[in-house]
Amino acid sequence: MKRLTAFLAYTVAVLTIAVAVVGPLVWFGVFSRAAAKTSLRIDSTYTGGEPARVISRQGYEIVVYKPVRKHTPLATTGSFVQMVWKPASALPPAISEPVDLDGDGQPDCVVSFQAPRDPKAKLRVTVKPLTALVQPMNEVGKESFSSLIARVNDTIVVRVPLR
Amino acid sequence: MPDQARRSVLAPRRGTGRSLLLTVPMAVFTLLLFTPSLRQPGAAAKLAALLAWTFMIALFFLMMRTGQTYRWRRIFFVALGFLFPIGFVWDLIALRSSMSIPMERMISGDTPFCFMVIPMTLIPAALTKTIIFPGSILPTPSNPHSIAMMVALWLLATVILGKAWCSYGCFFGGLDEGFSSIAKKARLPKINPKWRMAPWAILVAIVLLSAATFEPVYCMWLCPFKTVTEFPQVRSFETALQFGIFITLFLGLVVVLPFLTKRRTQCAFFCPFGAFQSIFSRTSIFDVRIDKEKCGAGCLLCRNSCPTLAIDQDAIRAGKPLSTCMRCGACVDVCRKDAAVWHIKGTPVGVKPEQARLLYLYAAWVFATMFGGSIIANSLHKLIGLIV
Repeated sequence: MKRLTAFLAYTVAVLTIAVAVVGPLVWFGVFSRAAAKTSLRIDSTYTGGEPARVISRQGYEIVVYKPVRKHTPLATTGSFVQMVWKPASALPPAISEPVDLDGDGQPDCVVSFQAPRDPKAKLRVTVKPLTALVQPMNEVGKESFSSLIARVNDTIVVRVPLR
Repeated sequence: MPDQARRSVLAPRRGTGRSLLLTVPMAVFTLLLFTPSLRQPGAAAKLAALLAWTFMIALFFLMMRTGQTYRWRRIFFVALGFLFPIGFVWDLIALRSSMSIPMERMISGDTPFCFMVIPMTLIPAALTKTIIFPGSILPTPSNPHSIAMMVALWLLATVILGKAWCSYGCFFGGLDEGFSSIAKKARLPKINPKWRMAPWAILVAIVLLSAATFEPVYCMWLCPFKTVTEFPQVRSFETALQFGIFITLFLGLVVVLPFLTKRRTQCAFFCPFGAFQSIFSRTSIFDVRIDKEKCGAGCLLCRNSCPTLAIDQDAIRAGKPLSTCMRCGACVDVCRKDAAVWHIKGTPVGVKPEQARLLYLYAAWVFATMFGGSIIANSLHKLIGLIV
């Protein structure tokens, strides 16, 4: 019995070496493919949630996302709604328009920001609530995950905190 | 390792020919894994890959020739710890001219994933199938360090190394080990062993807090290595406070305390990932044992040499170090009675320990060369690019 145990132990030890050599050549691809098939996703605090509707404008569109609720009572990031203007390169120099966030046909807020061509230019957004759904924002930059304006590739992302 | 207790590490254990013979398989295995690095375009990249591979093989040869492990492994590990930030920060500066992570990168999933986050993501992932980290599940052109890649790497390392990840894989531990190696004598030689429980307490706290807040609390508030990698853009009092905490922890736990104590204080008394990895210390077939018959428990050289206080008199009586043993080899190399030995679980203790050591090193060093060696090559590439 002791001999058998020792034999098995040495076998596993040798197999460990084989895993160390062959593993990197095979394992990463296998695991990545398996990970892609799971329903795991990045938390909506970072991604902004899922798109809800698209509002077409002349030359560009606004993608309105589903609300992201505060995850737990202790979470530091509050509830917010994300809007994405794209493509940023086709936007007029100044944006000031009402946006319907909940799809009821009535605008919930007026979003205003400058859209300079320079991708490194600092962005500031002002949001005036038209309903009790959203909180006001006054010349906000990148305050937090629930309150920001940022240029991401050729889009401008705005997140408005919800009440 | 205490000077007076150290054997002559240069005294050969086996001849040059035999040592070369044992090194050849390692050279072949690692060349296979290093081929993509050697095929990179540009003379600087090829030279860097060749230097890194040669460095790793040379150290392995010395391990074979001298029969010692700790000293040569430490050279690799410290090199990894100091070179990793160079390559990493260089790439950040090239990409975005700054070490700080702008909000844009976080909301577009471009934050590189770090293994330290793994414990914090488990409960939220189990409850909601979401990963509480601003990265990407799969690699992208702008973020090759995806969650899937790092988790796959960690799983592979855990199977091969178990807790020895902290001696062969962690690209932060080498900083700790480097600063602990500078002074000849410890200025603070005595450490209360109760501090060994601190990483467990921190692990439990950050796992629960991360589940309660759905945020990676350790990354946001406690990681000392943000100082040498990347950190959220300082744009408010809160982010300035976070940055201050990172720097204070880094200087205290990674630089000053290791220098004063000659121990890996960040690893042994703070790192929650180290505690997490201790849970998996049983996954590797290799471990260190103490042959009680040979030992006699008199000299305590093993206890005094352990960088993480994983050996105490209870451990010696039990015949094995604590689960926090990082398999660094310090105790084995310092033991004058050959009582502390490398061991394969399921085999008798002290029977053919050199065989156990060889099999362990083949597995550990292949992994170290594949992972750490490629990181060293990347950083050397940047440095060579400065000169050439």
